Amino acid sequence: MAMTTSLTWMQEKILQILLRGKKFSLLYKASAHEFSPSNLFEICCNQGPILILIYGDHVIGAYVSENCQRETPVSILLFAFQETEISRCKIGPYEPLKLFGGNVCESNLEFYINLRKQKVTMNLKLIKILNLPECSNISFQECEVFRCEDLLDTRKIQGVTVLRESLLSALRTYKPYKELVHQTRILLLGPVGAGKSSFFNSVKSVFRGHVTHQALVGSDTTGITEQYRTYSIKDGKDGKSLPFILCDSMGLDEEEGMCMGDILHILKGHISDRYQFNFTKPITPGHGNWNDFPLLEDRIHCVAIVFDANSVEDLSSEMVAKIKRIRREMIKCGMAHVVLLTHVDNMALIRKGDLIDIYRYMPVKLKLEAVHEKLGFALSDILVVSNYTSEWDVDPVKDVLILSALRQMLWAADDFLEDLPLEETDIRSKYLTRCAREENDYVNP
Amino acid sequence: MAVTTRLTWNEEKRLQKLLGNVSLSLLYQSSVHGCSIKDMLARCSCQGSTITVIYLGDNIFGAFLLEHYPKTVQSVRKQNSSFFFSLQNNKTTAFLNTSLKITDEELAFHSSNHEEWFFSLVPKKHKLWLLHSLGKELAMNSYHDYSYRECEVFRVEGIKNEANYVSRITGATEYRNMLLEHLRAYKPCVDLVPEIRILLLGPVGSGKSSFFNSVKSIFQGHVTRQATVGSDITSITEMYRIYSIKDGKEGKSLPFMICDSMGLDEKDGVGLCMGDIPHILKGCMPDRYQFNPHQPITSRHSDFIISPSLKDRIHCVAYVLDINSINDLSSKMVVKFKQVQKEVLNCGTAQVVLLTKVNNYHDVLQDNFLNMKKSITSQSQVINVHKMLNIPISNILMVENYASVWEQDPVKDILILSVLRQMLRAADNSLEDLPLSETGEILGQSELCM
Repeated sequence: MAMTTSLTWMQEKILQILLRGKKFSLLYKASAHEFSPSNLFEICCNQGPILILIYGDHVIGAYVSENCQRETPVSILLFAFQETEISRCKIGPYEPLKLFGGNVCESNLEFYINLRKQKVTMNLKLIKILNLPECSNISFQECEVFRCEDLLDTRKIQGVTVLRESLLSALRTYKPYKELVHQTRILLLGPVGAGKSSFFNSVKSVFRGHVTHQALVGSDTTGITEQYRTYSIKDGKDGKSLPFILCDSMGLDEEEGMCMGDILHILKGHISDRYQFNFTKPITPGHGNWNDFPLLEDRIHCVAIVFDANSVEDLSSEMVAKIKRIRREMIKCGMAHVVLLTHVDNMALIRKGDLIDIYRYMPVKLKLEAVHEKLGFALSDILVVSNYTSEWDVDPVKDVLILSALRQMLWAADDFLEDLPLEETDIRSKYLTRCAREENDYVNP
Repeated sequence: MAVTTRLTWNEEKRLQKLLGNVSLSLLYQSSVHGCSIKDMLARCSCQGSTITVIYLGDNIFGAFLLEHYPKTVQSVRKQNSSFFFSLQNNKTTAFLNTSLKITDEELAFHSSNHEEWFFSLVPKKHKLWLLHSLGKELAMNSYHDYSYRECEVFRVEGIKNEANYVSRITGATEYRNMLLEHLRAYKPCVDLVPEIRILLLGPVGSGKSSFFNSVKSIFQGHVTRQATVGSDITSITEMYRIYSIKDGKEGKSLPFMICDSMGLDEKDGVGLCMGDIPHILKGCMPDRYQFNPHQPITSRHSDFIISPSLKDRIHCVAYVLDINSINDLSSKMVVKFKQVQKEVLNCGTAQVVLLTKVNNYHDVLQDNFLNMKKSITSQSQVINVHKMLNIPISNILMVENYASVWEQDPVKDILILSVLRQMLRAADNSLEDLPLSETGEILGQSELCM
């Protein structure tokens, strides 16, 4: 008999929410360990809080919230699954042994599991509360007992904190491929309100150690960001600049929003910081923010296309077409790109504890598949984060997601730099840097 | 009171990865549940596959059991169903095939043929007895017996394919590293050719660029995305690319190059132009040539390589096909493939087939990873391709490309690296087969050019 639970994913999720973010480890399964109370207690005593589940026509459960011992009375949470809901009530305190009969006469008990006969007996009052069919003996086929641990216990928080430190130091010491440029430029692109500026704020917050709001964010219909901004980030408050620059653009929109022409100009490095976007027409050479001879330094090295994870399926067909067009353009000019899904913490049913292993989390896997289907991006190019929006303080779990996404972007940028034709990296960049330096020396001797 | 493992989160993750992306449930902890064998068996019997983890100073030792822990004290168990491993600070892991013997006092692990004793646990005394040579190998102090702090047992869930699990896990990492070494040290059999050029040809979306990314990721140590991949109606790759791969981030270039082309399409005027294929094979096509589906490259193109030498030529062609699409390949596509093959045969280039998206990739190779299994090579897809292209079964290769960032797997690596090795072997064969006159002729030409 295989030791796997009969609980469905959805039921487990509902229980997890009912019991405030618990994780369940299966200890005992009647069909593998016999329908015997003494076996059950031998295995499940002293395992901390436990959850007993009974599978009949309905799934009925009993949660023992303290360390379970045979003869220490504890209060017990009883519950029963309806289709999508769960009804519950508290009973006890009882000695856990008594739940399974013990030595007491059966009729005195309001709830009692006869494991050997595979029957549950409970009084009418309980049956009503739990919304079960009126029948004093409920037979069942299987009984399972789980140990309950916090999904996010101190051990895991410690592990996540260690991981955060190692990611931080990897990003601090990161050097772009062959040091062709000093700082890697990442462009954030995406629909209005997807969380582009929030991602920049989040990255900055991680390195600052508390939540900051340098870039204005909000949810106006046409987008809050109307200026092109290139943000360099300092390590700590007075530290030196980090080896990457995040470039924040105006949101994409079916009609208004950023022009296609401007995107190409940004990618090539023609547009400088603080350019005021004009959604009716793209920038023209000669504009104060136009750079005639962009260096490799000024170009974008990786694009992150940002979507709100919760609305990416609802993108209009015009928007999808626009995104696909942008993607084609990027492929044409060899631009490295990734997709960034924000607000994963707002996805239905997700708990904070799920964030530490987000890419194994079933709904997130399905989400990535959906984005791949709809927009054609490769699965390995889709990253997820949860931005800082309403918090005051940073949180190692969110930090790790943000930093991992950032590291993937820098790796993608390295691939882009490595992929550049030799003539564009070696000769041109060196020549142009030298020219620029000479010009600088000339201007400010 | 909560029962929590002593493993740090990081160690737990390493262990999960080591055991092949499994999940672990703690069943027993000696400090909480009592340290006798009886206490242990009471909680751990009939739980399916388990690992027993022992904490000894900075070292963590473990023994994996594929079968249930028995209910009662029992003697020798089946061969090749358990193994020993160690998880040291940052060092690699030693694997050892073992068999288990349980008595009232101790758990004793022997070599899988029962002849040699490896180590024993005496739970009552918190003692671990280790074979002297084994202790040395693991850089332990030279005592014979050690007192351990804690013993924990976890159930292991999510094992794919139990039948060859033990040999797969114990042998995979070592074999993978051996293959890596092998490929790093590879030298083409003809001196004139410093690198073997492998051309990937196949329908749109069959995974040509992904194969390159997968190979590069293995040598780089993390997922790379130099070649843009994804899906669309038409080919994502529109440029001819000759990729050289570095060994690590700053390492030297490896002795092979992967040439990525535009996807083939059954319709004419879409996808890779047939007329381009001979130019690619002969080495006239420059890197980064923008394909034009309507007409082939001509010698008037500014970067056209007019007199390519032997090293510029393609030395091995891999026809890349999605294994799931083979049984319903359109007749037009088959015709196109045969046309392509004619060109390849004309040039005398080596040819292999690369089947991608093999979901059951764990099952492709024998337990010792040396050959593909008979049950795999006799699948209808393989037979169909064999009939269609008349390529020997041994050169019909299979991989599962890396599609997600998060699941590194030595078995996946082994398949990708083995495939690469087969391609290089095929290339060597055809280079050896080259008539002297041709090598001479090409030599002459290249000298002329210089």
